[in-house]
Amino acid sequence: MARAARNRTGLAFALPALALFALFAVYPMLRVVYLSLFDYNLTSPGRYVGLENYRFLIHDARFHAAFGASIFYVVAAYVPAVLLALLIALGLNTRMRGSGLVRLLYFAPVATSWVAVSVIWRLVLHPEGALNRTLGLHVNWLSSSGSARWAVALTAVWKEVGFFVIIFLAGLQNVPRELHEAASLDGAGAVTRLRYITLPLIKPVTAVVAVMAVIRGFQSFSAQVVLTDGSFGTEVVNLFIYKTAFANARMGRASAVAVMMFALLALVTLAQLRVFRRTDR
Amino acid sequence: MTQEAITGAVPSLRAQRRTLRLARVRTAARWLLLVAGGLLFASVFVYALLSAVKSPADVLSGRWWPREWHWSNFKLPFEQAPFARYYLNSVVVGVSVTLLNVVTCTLAGYSFAKFDYRGRDVLFFIVLATLMIPLEVIYVPLYALVYDLGWVNSFLGLIVPSGTSAFGIFLMRQSIDAVPDELLDAARIDGAGELRILRSIVVPMVLSPMAALALFIFMANWDSHLWPLLVASDDAHRTLPVGLAAMQANNLGSSGIPTMMAAAILALLPTLVLFLALQRKFVEGVTMTAGIK
Repeated sequence: MARAARNRTGLAFALPALALFALFAVYPMLRVVYLSLFDYNLTSPGRYVGLENYRFLIHDARFHAAFGASIFYVVAAYVPAVLLALLIALGLNTRMRGSGLVRLLYFAPVATSWVAVSVIWRLVLHPEGALNRTLGLHVNWLSSSGSARWAVALTAVWKEVGFFVIIFLAGLQNVPRELHEAASLDGAGAVTRLRYITLPLIKPVTAVVAVMAVIRGFQSFSAQVVLTDGSFGTEVVNLFIYKTAFANARMGRASAVAVMMFALLALVTLAQLRVFRRTDR
Repeated sequence: MTQEAITGAVPSLRAQRRTLRLARVRTAARWLLLVAGGLLFASVFVYALLSAVKSPADVLSGRWWPREWHWSNFKLPFEQAPFARYYLNSVVVGVSVTLLNVVTCTLAGYSFAKFDYRGRDVLFFIVLATLMIPLEVIYVPLYALVYDLGWVNSFLGLIVPSGTSAFGIFLMRQSIDAVPDELLDAARIDGAGELRILRSIVVPMVLSPMAALALFIFMANWDSHLWPLLVASDDAHRTLPVGLAAMQANNLGSSGIPTMMAAAILALLPTLVLFLALQRKFVEGVTMTAGIK
């Protein structure tokens, strides 16, 4: 009897969190699918349109461009960021004097906010800013369609490398030092050891990194808003949803984009996990 | 025989020294590369700081070092925009969201770890499943809901929807799971209520993950831009990211650059200082988010 009463108390402890989830996560998730079937804005009642929103989007050049921009951003920012992070983590993964301090230099951008960083990078990327001055270039980084997307990606690399360094470093803790020592005694070079010892052993971490890179990439918003406001090929999916819903007041259509983004992210995540699991054996 | 052994040993010792020296050179080279790369990363902060104290005419001159140091530039954001208001809003929202998360996640974590009621595992699974739902997917209906609740342009709208986190519940459940049941049972025999047990036995044992969670939530909230942009568009409720982005949009000429740099530096200072003070907790938090995905 006392046990049943106690367990009821236990359930009550979970209720605040569960109520918040139900109202602010589960309900909107169901509702976004529902809304995607309506022509809807906040002020007037919605009109059921079936799959019309999806049909429209499939033929909408701006929607295609947004997906292209997101995919470009994920690839151009996160592939270099992850590779660079792996290199830096491998380098930092030894007990050297002062390595704690060097870590700080790479980690610091992770502890800053995207908007503040983007404000700073606007100046770095200014035609007379640090990047052009240092490299002796005269590129209009943020106001030409050829370079704006690269400029946003470069900003993201600087901001995100440290995040992945932290995760790789945690993964490298699981690689026993003795394995490396034994392999070098057998004459295995650094590259061989990386290929046959380190990489296989950190594969689970690499899987997590791959999944997080794609998700973080698709969530990007602030950098594009502050750096270019979505011009010059940088209107990523997230910004497209925002503008469709709030500048054009087409919430049904924006919901359809969100549903498609969710489906895509879920598929990519599953595919990535499967790839990493299969090669495990 | 002995002579031979000795002469044979000498070159091998020399070879050993040579490999040792080579290894040392290699270590030094790697070290140098890492430091150089790190300084390159940090140079962006230095550049922002130096630009913040330059005069508008000096800021695009191409010189790194300011001609004159205008430290008073740090007053400009406060004079030219309601920057103090944005700052205060960010602190209020950040602290409230953090406290709310620590409370709801600890309570739910305790519930999922130490009680046995019907549906518990299903509920926990649903909580974990919400990890798959990023804000980006649901913010349109979420905004509609908050609009219907009348919470647009209010602190409620900024705080309550962010009041709990699946990651936090997972973390607290794992941590509280490790608290021995015998301790809780002993307290129950002594007649302590469940809330009392949570407060005086469980919480003291999981303070470290609670701190990591608090730091993580606060930092994430400090960075939060999209949601506050939707629900708090008026100056009275704008948080720093929203305010900063609005200031940037109004300050496109070069004369506003030092102001914007000063504002950006002031905006990233709190989380940067927290990070420097609590590096280990910070790294722990980032690693934990990776562990659960």
